[in-house]
Amino acid sequence: MKKKQSWYLLTLLLMFLVSSIAVAGETKLEMYLWNRYTYEKDETNTFSLERGYFRINQKFSSDISGRFNLDFFSSDKDTDVHGVGVKLKYAYLDFKNLIPIPESKLTFGLLKNYFGSIYDWSYVVMEKAPSDKYKFISSTDYGISLYGYIPNGMGEYAVAVTNGEGYKKAGDNVNTSPAYLANLRFIPISGITIGGSYYTKKKGTDKTDYSAYAAVGRLAFGPLDIQFEFLSKEDDGTVGQGFMIMPIVKLTDKFELVARYDNWEPNTDEDNDKQTLIVGGINYFMRRAKGKPVVMLQVNYENTSYEDSSKDSKDKFIAQLRWEFSTKL
Amino acid sequence: MKTKSLLIAGILLLITTQVFAFQWPWAKKKSNTLTLTGSTTVLPIAQKTAETFMDIHPEANISVRGGGSGVGIAALIDGTCDIADASRPMKTKELKKAREKGINPIETIVAKDGIAIVVHPDNTVKALTLSQLKDIYIGKISNWRDVGGESGTIVVVSRDVASGTFEVFKKLVLKGDKVRDGALMLASNQAVATTVSQTPGSIGYIGLGYLSADVKALRIDNVLPSNKTVVSGEYKLARPLFMYTNGKPKGLVKDLIDFILSHQGQNIVKELGFVPIK
Repeated sequence: MKKKQSWYLLTLLLMFLVSSIAVAGETKLEMYLWNRYTYEKDETNTFSLERGYFRINQKFSSDISGRFNLDFFSSDKDTDVHGVGVKLKYAYLDFKNLIPIPESKLTFGLLKNYFGSIYDWSYVVMEKAPSDKYKFISSTDYGISLYGYIPNGMGEYAVAVTNGEGYKKAGDNVNTSPAYLANLRFIPISGITIGGSYYTKKKGTDKTDYSAYAAVGRLAFGPLDIQFEFLSKEDDGTVGQGFMIMPIVKLTDKFELVARYDNWEPNTDEDNDKQTLIVGGINYFMRRAKGKPVVMLQVNYENTSYEDSSKDSKDKFIAQLRWEFSTKL
Repeated sequence: MKTKSLLIAGILLLITTQVFAFQWPWAKKKSNTLTLTGSTTVLPIAQKTAETFMDIHPEANISVRGGGSGVGIAALIDGTCDIADASRPMKTKELKKAREKGINPIETIVAKDGIAIVVHPDNTVKALTLSQLKDIYIGKISNWRDVGGESGTIVVVSRDVASGTFEVFKKLVLKGDKVRDGALMLASNQAVATTVSQTPGSIGYIGLGYLSADVKALRIDNVLPSNKTVVSGEYKLARPLFMYTNGKPKGLVKDLIDFILSHQGQNIVKELGFVPIK
């Protein structure tokens, strides 16, 4: 089944590529690759391709553009083709000026989920955004969104209606109830960002109630950048809550020091179920092009510990080479 | 466990030190060095004024690079340049990204420029209307015969999307439409000027500072691009040229920008074929 799925995705990619070349407009190809080494005592000692985004951006006109993105990753599952897994990550069309709101766009397709920090998470540390890690919401989903900027760069907003099942489910696994999302980000003065997101849906085929919200903040002054996020979700009566704080210190143009602390409680009615994540690391920017880093070495140490003393804490060491390039056809 | 505690303590110590000391000694930027990056239109102004400024202030070390307005603005947001040169204003998306990262872009207009429409010197066409120019660039007109010239295919030369000149051209001429397929998308004003000078039948657009005897500027809506027609507003394809800094210019950044805005700096702007703002 997975083999068939992979060929299906590759065929889609080829069709999109050929049609992009045939159709008038501007086509940009991008690759984002993460080569990773992970060491976890008695558990993991592996080299892998953690992410291999192959992205096609097609600009049909100044008002209409599209994005198609496959994610290739190394996999040792028997069902995957030749040691590689493939996921469809983005497939959407943006329409500007379709509705008369300045600096806004309507998006249709498999699109970004504008919740908490998940949609602009730049992987300063290698761990996922909290709302992704603690399964609040999938990073992309099928649906429609309206996204726009507040004038003078003072923030952004988004509202969306999606399937609510994320990008990994389709067909019979998607229920008939849509999910609704609202997001606001406000930057009153340079360096201070505040905002929040709300998301609600009927979950799964038995359509249980699910809602989540996030409050985010960011302080960026000189070489110091601190990001905060508070998250809460109610899943069929069970409330989970947590927060994250992530300080980043720019040492030089080539080095930055990163740290992250997460505190997560999956069920606030339960005792002894809290867990904490501590990440420390360094990012080394080896090469910049077009005003941004294009080759980067990341080294992270991660410690996950549990309130439940019967569970052992986990220590992980991860090193990753991250590189990207792009070209226009 | 001990290692973990040491690591966490180390990280916290580093962060605390940063908060109070603000910059590590090795990260501290030398006060006499500056980097300017961005628009290839603004590049000649940035280069010549920086050279003259360094002649007057030998202790200053100024590095000037091109790349396009988008690249310069991205570098300012990334914190890897002191001044972003741009031939278009910053976009809302860029402003938002900058403000999020604690960068406060302040705009200074350093000159004005006309976008000259140029053809090969042997081309018999001397003038176009804005409407004809648009039709050529979107592919509705593809032969010089249709605009009063001799029969021959029009070779359309444009700038790439990182270019501020392209953004302004798109806004003032194309008005939302896209450049025709098969157009040559080049990375700099100089590349456009050189290509047009060597390709009979071609048409391109460049900043006034890149005009030379090797190309012929066309009248647009019966107005030739010049300092005078740009200042008077008669020539419609005109725009300001910007330098963006993080916050109000200070130190060496301020000294350089003050110099560019001074009588001497604006004379250099004029000598280079651009339009002074004073």
